[in-house]
Amino acid sequence: MEIVYALAIGVLAGAGVWLLLRPRTFQVIIGLSLLSYATNLFIFGMGRLTLHRPPIIDEEGAIDAALYADPVPQALVLTAIVIGFATTALFLVVLIALRGLSGTDHVDGRERD
Amino acid sequence: MLLTLIIVLPFIGSVCAALLPTNARNAEAWLAGAVAVTCALLVGSQYFAVAGGGVVRTAWAWLPQAGLDVYFRMDAYAWLFALLVSFIGALVVLYARYYMSPEDPVPRFFSFLLAFMGAMLGTILSGNLIQLVVFWELTSLTSFMLIGYWYHLADARRGARMALIVTVGGGFCLLLGMLLLGEIVGSYDLDRVLAAGDAIRAHAWYGPMLVLIVVGVITKSAQFPFHFWLPHAMTAPTPVSAYLHSAAMVKAGVFLLARFWPALHGTGLWFWLICTAGATSLLLGAFSALFQRDMKGVLAYSTISHLGLITLLLGMDTELALVAAVFHMLNHATFKASLFMATGIVDHETGTRDLKRLSGLRHAMPITASIAAVAAGAMAGVPLLNGFLSKEMFFEESIVAGSASEVRFALPLIATLWGIFSVAYSARFIHQVFFGPPARDLPRPPHEPTRGMIVPSALLVVACLLVGVVPAVTLGPLLKEAAFSLLGPDLPEYELAVWHGVSTPFVMSLVALGGGMAFYAFLVKRGLAMMPAPLLSRLDARRAFDLVNVAIVRGADKAAHAIFSSRLQPQLLLIVASALLAAAVALQDTVFVGNAPLTPPDPLFVLLWIGGAACALGAAQQAKFHRFAALTMLGGAGLVTCLTFAWFSAPDLALTQISVEVVTVTLLLLGLRWLPPRILSDDERRRTARARLRRARDLALAVAAGTGFAAITFALLTRPPMLGLASFFVEHALEHGGGRNVVNVILVDFRGFDTLGEITVLGIVALVVYALLRRFRPAPESVDVPDAQREDEAREAAFGAPRDLLPQGYMKVPAVLARLLLPIAAFISFYFLLRGHNAPGGGFVGGLVMATGFIVQYMVGGTIWVESRLKIHPQLWVALGLLAAVGAGMGAWLSSRPFLTAVAADVRLPFVGGVHVSSVLLFDFGVYMLVIGATVLMLVALAHQSLRSPRKRAALDGLTEPLEEPDEALR
Amino acid sequence: MNALIMHLPILPIVVPLVAGAVLMLLAEEHRAWRLTIAFSSLVVQLAVAVALLYLSTDAVPDIWSEGVGVYALGAWPTPFGILLVVDRLSALMLTLTAIVSLAGLVYAMAGWERPPQPLHSLYQLLMMGLNGAFLTGDLFNLFVFFEVLLAASYGLLLRGAGVQRVRNALHYIAVNLVASLFFLIGVALIYGTLGTLNMADLLGKVALLAPPERALFDTGAAILGIAFLVKAGSWPLNFWLPGSYSVALPPVAAVFAMLTKVGVYALLRIGTLLGEDEAAAAILGPILFYFGFATLLAGTAGMLATQHLRRLVSYSVIVSSGLLLATLGVGSEALTPAALFYFATSVLTTCAFFMVTGMTDRTRIAADSAAVPSADAAAAVVPPTPAYVAFGVREPQPYDTSEEVGAAIPAAMAFLGLMFVCCVLLVAGLPPLPSFVAKFALLQAAIHSAPEVHVPAEAWALVVGILATGFAQIIALTRIGVRLFWAGTGRRTPRLRVLEAAPVAVVVVLCLALSAMSGTAMRFFEAAAQSLHAPEVYTRIVLSAPGADQPSGGERR
Repeated sequence: MEIVYALAIGVLAGAGVWLLLRPRTFQVIIGLSLLSYATNLFIFGMGRLTLHRPPIIDEEGAIDAALYADPVPQALVLTAIVIGFATTALFLVVLIALRGLSGTDHVDGRERD
Repeated sequence: MLLTLIIVLPFIGSVCAALLPTNARNAEAWLAGAVAVTCALLVGSQYFAVAGGGVVRTAWAWLPQAGLDVYFRMDAYAWLFALLVSFIGALVVLYARYYMSPEDPVPRFFSFLLAFMGAMLGTILSGNLIQLVVFWELTSLTSFMLIGYWYHLADARRGARMALIVTVGGGFCLLLGMLLLGEIVGSYDLDRVLAAGDAIRAHAWYGPMLVLIVVGVITKSAQFPFHFWLPHAMTAPTPVSAYLHSAAMVKAGVFLLARFWPALHGTGLWFWLICTAGATSLLLGAFSALFQRDMKGVLAYSTISHLGLITLLLGMDTELALVAAVFHMLNHATFKASLFMATGIVDHETGTRDLKRLSGLRHAMPITASIAAVAAGAMAGVPLLNGFLSKEMFFEESIVAGSASEVRFALPLIATLWGIFSVAYSARFIHQVFFGPPARDLPRPPHEPTRGMIVPSALLVVACLLVGVVPAVTLGPLLKEAAFSLLGPDLPEYELAVWHGVSTPFVMSLVALGGGMAFYAFLVKRGLAMMPAPLLSRLDARRAFDLVNVAIVRGADKAAHAIFSSRLQPQLLLIVASALLAAAVALQDTVFVGNAPLTPPDPLFVLLWIGGAACALGAAQQAKFHRFAALTMLGGAGLVTCLTFAWFSAPDLALTQISVEVVTVTLLLLGLRWLPPRILSDDERRRTARARLRRARDLALAVAAGTGFAAITFALLTRPPMLGLASFFVEHALEHGGGRNVVNVILVDFRGFDTLGEITVLGIVALVVYALLRRFRPAPESVDVPDAQREDEAREAAFGAPRDLLPQGYMKVPAVLARLLLPIAAFISFYFLLRGHNAPGGGFVGGLVMATGFIVQYMVGGTIWVESRLKIHPQLWVALGLLAAVGAGMGAWLSSRPFLTAVAADVRLPFVGGVHVSSVLLFDFGVYMLVIGATVLMLVALAHQSLRSPRKRAALDGLTEPLEEPDEALR
Repeated sequence: MNALIMHLPILPIVVPLVAGAVLMLLAEEHRAWRLTIAFSSLVVQLAVAVALLYLSTDAVPDIWSEGVGVYALGAWPTPFGILLVVDRLSALMLTLTAIVSLAGLVYAMAGWERPPQPLHSLYQLLMMGLNGAFLTGDLFNLFVFFEVLLAASYGLLLRGAGVQRVRNALHYIAVNLVASLFFLIGVALIYGTLGTLNMADLLGKVALLAPPERALFDTGAAILGIAFLVKAGSWPLNFWLPGSYSVALPPVAAVFAMLTKVGVYALLRIGTLLGEDEAAAAILGPILFYFGFATLLAGTAGMLATQHLRRLVSYSVIVSSGLLLATLGVGSEALTPAALFYFATSVLTTCAFFMVTGMTDRTRIAADSAAVPSADAAAAVVPPTPAYVAFGVREPQPYDTSEEVGAAIPAAMAFLGLMFVCCVLLVAGLPPLPSFVAKFALLQAAIHSAPEVHVPAEAWALVVGILATGFAQIIALTRIGVRLFWAGTGRRTPRLRVLEAAPVAVVVVLCLALSAMSGTAMRFFEAAAQSLHAPEVYTRIVLSAPGADQPSGGERR
C-alpha cells in the first residue's frame, strides 16, 4: 500500500512539475492543480495510512486516539484544499485576463522568438 | 556647549535662508553674514581657553553601545582652522551678495553655503572619528549642491556629480579606515587615538587602515590620482570656488592628515604613500596650470599643486615639516581665495575668463589688477609675502628630510622645479590678464566693480602682506599654539622671519624666481603659452569619467540581463531546482525505509492508481493541444485522489475534494472558451535542437522531483505515527468540542483560527476575481460566440424579449428539472451544514453543494435567463459570512474568554436530531455563507463574460462605450 | 482595562478583518464613510501595535513576564491550540506595518483609491495577513496568514490593468503558488517527524530525533527555507520582484515594503527558534550567507542597470533584503541588533521612496521616459492611452488637477527634491539619516566579531559588500536624480496634494527621529536580539502559557 501511495504522489508531482515548466498558461494551471493533489496526499500521508477508522467517535467504546486515523493532517488538508481552490480560481482568471490583453496564452504575454 | 552653538548656528541659518523669498538678496546676505561673523567671534572668544595646549570639550551620548558619541573638541589647531573657515566664510558671503545676479535664486545658494560652513566646522571640531566622517560626508553633499547650483548647464551637472562620486567614494574608504582605527585603539575618541600612536603603528591592520584613510584624504584634497574632479568643479559660482576650493573643503583632507599625523606618521608606508601622492600632484598641478585657458582653470591646477606641497610636507614626517604644512594651509587659503575673488571680478565685469581674450585690464581696473598681482606674488612665493615664508620652509625641509632617505637629491630638485613652474604660471596669469594692450572684443566694457566685491579680496591681500612682512607678530603666535597642540612638548624650535641670511633655500628661491620668469618668457616666445598642455592634455578626466560611467551602466546592464530574467519559466525552474537541491543536501544521511509494519497492497487500490497515474501523465502530455482532454484527465486524477481519501478513512476529505473538484472543473471549462485555438502541427514542426534540449532538461527535473517526493513519502509512511496532537484532539473532541466528527471539531474549534484565515482567502479571491473580470475584454479572435449561444441569440431574435423565455427545445426539460433542483440543493446543503459537527459534512461542503446548485442553473438555464430571475448578492454573502465567523469568535469576549472560545448549548431539532447549537455553529454558518457567496461570485463573474464578448468590437472601433456596464447579477 | 490588555494581541487581526468585511458591504458611493472606517481601523492598529511594543519591552512585568505575551485562541492548552505570541520582534513588526500602511492609506486618499477597484477592503485584509503572520506561534497558521496576505497582495497588485501589470501579476502569483506548495510540504514534513505544529514546541522535540528522522526533519526545514527565501526576494528566486513591485501603484508598493520582510522575519523567527545548533543550519545555515550576498550583488547590478526610478527602487528592495540575509547568514549574534536596526530603516525607506516615485512620475515630460534607453523594456509602466480606455482603467490621470483632493502644497519641486535627496541618503546609507547609523553599527559589529565568527572571510566580505553597494547605489541614484530634477528641460512642476506630501514628510521625519534616538532604539534592538538568541526563554514562557494551566473545558461552557 505505502509503495503505491508513494508512487502515486511521485507521478502526480512529476507530471505537475513538467507542466509547471511549460510555456502555456493552461499547462501551468493544470500543473499547479496536479501538484496540489500531490501535496494534499502528502500532507494526508503524514498521519500514516489507516483503513476503516475515520476519526468520528462513536457513542460507546473507549475514546482512544490509537483507534482512529490521525485527524490533524485531515484538517490541514481540508484547509489546504480550500486555499488551493481559491488560488487556482484566481490564477485562472488572471490568465484569462492576460490572454485578453496580450492576445496570446504564453506565460510571458508574448510569444518567444 | 558653546562649541555646539558654533556648529548648530550655521545649520539653523541655512534653514532660515531656505525659507526666505527668492529675490531677497540683501536679507539673505545679512542673515548669512551675521551667522558667519557670529561664528567667527564665538571661535575667537575661545582663544584663551585653547592657548597653551588647552582643549575645550562638549559631548553627548548618541549611540553609546557602538562608541559613537556627539563629541566636539577644540584645541588650538582646530581653533585656528575654525577661525579661518568662519572668517573667510563671512568675506565670501559679502562678496557673493554682489556677485550673484538678481535672477539667481539666492535662497538655495546661501542656504547650502551656510550648511556647508556648518558641516566644515563640524569636521574641524569633531572629537569622535565616526562623527568626523558624518560631517565629512555632509561637506561632500553640500558641495555637490553648490557646484551644481547652475544646474541648467550640463557641465555644472557633470562637475557636481563627478565631485560627489569621487569624494563620497573617498568618504566610504575613510569610514572603513576610521572603523579599523577605532577597532585597533578600542575607541573612536580622538584623544585616545592620538595617545595610542605606537600601538597603532604596531598593529597588523595598520597598513590597510592607513591606505584607506589616505585614499579618503587625497580624494577630498584633490591629490593625484583623484585630482581630476577639482578642475571640473570650477563650473561652480566663483564665490563657491573661493570658499570650497581654496579655503575650506579641499583643505579638509590635509587638515585630517595633519590631525592624525602624531598617531599615524613615522613609517615607510606613510612616507612613500603620502610623498608620492604629494609630489606627483605638486608637479603635475603646477605644470598643467601653465597651459590653462580658463583663469579658474589655472587657479584649480595651482590649488592641486599647492595641496600637493602640503601633502608632501606632511609625508616627509619631520616635526618642522608639519609646522610648515599647517602654515602653508593658512597662507594658501588667504592668497588663493583672494585670487578667486579677483577672477570672479574680472569674469563679472568683462563677461569672460578666457585668457586668450583678456588683456591689458590694468588700465580699466587698476585696483583689481594690483590686488591680483600681490596675491599672485604670494602664490609664486615672492619675498615679503606670506607664500614666500612657507615656501622657504618647504625648501628647507625638502633638503633636511631628503638627506635622511634614498631620495636625497630628488626632493630638493622637485621642490625647485615646482618653484619654477609656479612662478611661471603666476606670472602668466597676471601678465595675460592685466598687461599688454587693452583687449578689444570683450563681451562687456571692463570697469572697476562695486566696493562690495573689492573689499573682501583686498582684506585677504592685506593679510598676505602683513603675514609676509611681520610674521612673528601676526600669524606666528597662533601658528605656534596650533603646532604645539599637535606636537605637544616635542615641538621643535623655529622662527618665522623674512630674512634667514643666504642659505640653500634662499638660493633655491632665487633660482625658482629667475628660472620661472625665463621659462615663461620662453613659452611666450615659442607661443606655447596658449597650447594645450603637452602630454597631460591627453588624459581628459571628463571623457574618462563619462566613459567609465557608460561602461558601468553597460556592464551592469549586461550583468542584470544575465542574472535576472523577466520570463516565468526560468524562474520556476530555478525555484524547483533549488528546492530539490536543498532537499537532496539535507537528505544525505537518512534511511528511506522505516520500521513500521506495512499494510498489504490491495489490488483494487493498485488498479485505481494505475488509472490515476495514467490520467496524470495523460494530462501532462495533452495539456498543450487538447485542453479539453487534459481537463477531463485532471478530473480523473482528482477523482482518484478523492477515492484515496475515502479509502484511508477520511470521509470529510473525500466529500470536500469531490465538491471542490466539481467547481474547479466547471471554472476551468468556463475559462477554456477564452483560450486561443491551437492546432497540433503549428509548432511541432519548428522545434529546434535547443527546444528539445530544454524539454529534456525539464523532463529530467520532473522525474527527479517525482522520485524525490515519492522517496520522502515512503520514508515517512514507513515510520510509526506521531500522535502527539491527535490523542488530545480525539479525547477532547466530544467532551469539550461537543462533536463526534473530530476533523470538523478541529476545523471549527480547536484550530478554528486556521479556518477563519482560510475563508478570508476565499473571500479576498472572490473580490479580486470580480474586480478583474468587470474590466475584462476577451481577445479579438475569441469573441465570436460559440454555436450554442448563437442559436440562443437567433431564438431571441425570433421570439423577442429573451428575459421571459425558458430555453426552448432540447434544453427545456433539464432546465425545468434544474429549477426544481435548486431548493433540493439548498436543503441538502443545509443538512450537511448542521450535521457537520457529528458526521462528515460541515459548512464548507454545504456551501459548495449550494453553489453547485446555482451552477447547474447557469449551465442549463443560460446566463440571461438566470440573471433575469434570481438576484444573488455574492459580495453581501461574503461580507456577512466573514462577519458571522468573526462575530462567533468575538462572542467569547463577553464571557472574557479568548477569541474563538466556544460558547454552546445542546438542543434537539426535528429531522436533524440532536444538534450542538453553539458559537461554533454560527462560525460554521459563516463559513457556509462565505463559501456560497465566493463560489457563486466567481462563477457568475466568469460565466457573465459570455454576455460581454460581442461588445468587444464596439469597444475597439470608436472607443465610445461606457467603461463600466452594470453587472446586473452582481449588484 | 485589564480585559482589554488581555485581548490586545488579537486586535491587530480582528480589527482589520472586521473593517475589511464592513468595507465590502459599503457601496462605493459612500466614499467618506469608507475612508473613515479604513483610516480609523489603521489608527487603532497603530495604537495597539505601540501598546504591544511598550508591553513587550518588559515595562509591565506583572502582565507579561520577560516581555513575551501569549494569547491562546479558543483557550486550548498550549501545544494543541493555536497561539499568538508577542515578543519584541513581532511587536516591532506590527508597529512598522501599521506605520507603513497608515502612510500608504493617507497617500492613497489623494485620489489613488478611486473605484472601481476594491482597494480599501483588500488593504485591510492585507494588514490582517501581515499582522497575523507576525503574531502567530503556529507553523500551519503561519502558512494560512501568508496566504491571506498574498491573496490580498495579488488583488492590490492588479489594481489598474495594462498588459504589463497583469503579466507581472501572473508571474507573481505563479511563483507564490509554488512557494506556498513548498511551504505546505515543509510544514507537513515537520509535523510528520515531530508531531507538532507549535513553533515553541519544535526546539524540544527536535532534540529527541534519531539521525535518520532528523535528516527528514532537516529536509522539511530546508524546503521551508526555500519557500521563505522566495518570499524574501533572494536571488536567484526573485525575478518576479522588480517587475511586480515596479508596476504596483505607489501607495500599494509602499505597503509592499513590508512583504519581502515577512520572509526575512519568518527565516529569523523559525531559524532562531530551532536553536543555534545545526538544527538551524538546515534553514538559516551557511548557505544563507551566500544567498544573501548573491542577492546583494544582483540587486546592485540591477540598480546600476535600470534607468527607471520605480524599477530602481524595486532593486533597492532586493539589495536591502540581500544585506539582511547575508548579515543573518554570517551567524554572529553580535550582528543581529544592527541587522534589526537596518531592517526597520529599510522598511521606512522603501515606503517613503515608493511614495516619492508616485509624485516624480508626474514631473516627467512624456518624452523623457521613452527617450531614455531603458535598460529593461519590461519596465514601461504606462500602457498607451487607447488601451486605457478600452480596458476601462480608472487610474488618476497623472496630469489632471481637476479632481483636487485637499489643497496643493507650495514649492512643490523644492519639496520633492528634498524628499528625493532624503530617500537617496536613506538608500545609500549616508549621514545624517538612520540607515547610516544602522550600516555603521553593522560594519562595526562585523569588524569587531570578524575574528570569532565561523568564517571570518564572510564578515569581511560583508563589510566590503555593504560599503561597495552603498557606493554603487550613490552612482545609480545620482544619475537618475540628476536626470530627473536637473537635466529635464520644460519639465512640469507637479501639483502635490497635502495628502500625498504629508505622509512622505512624516516618514522622513520619523527616520530623522530614529537616527537622533539611535541610542534608545539600539537598546531595544539589542534586547530583541538577545531574546531571539535565547529561544529557551521564549519556549519556556510559551509552553507554560495561561492556556495550558486552565482546566480546558469544564467551565469553558
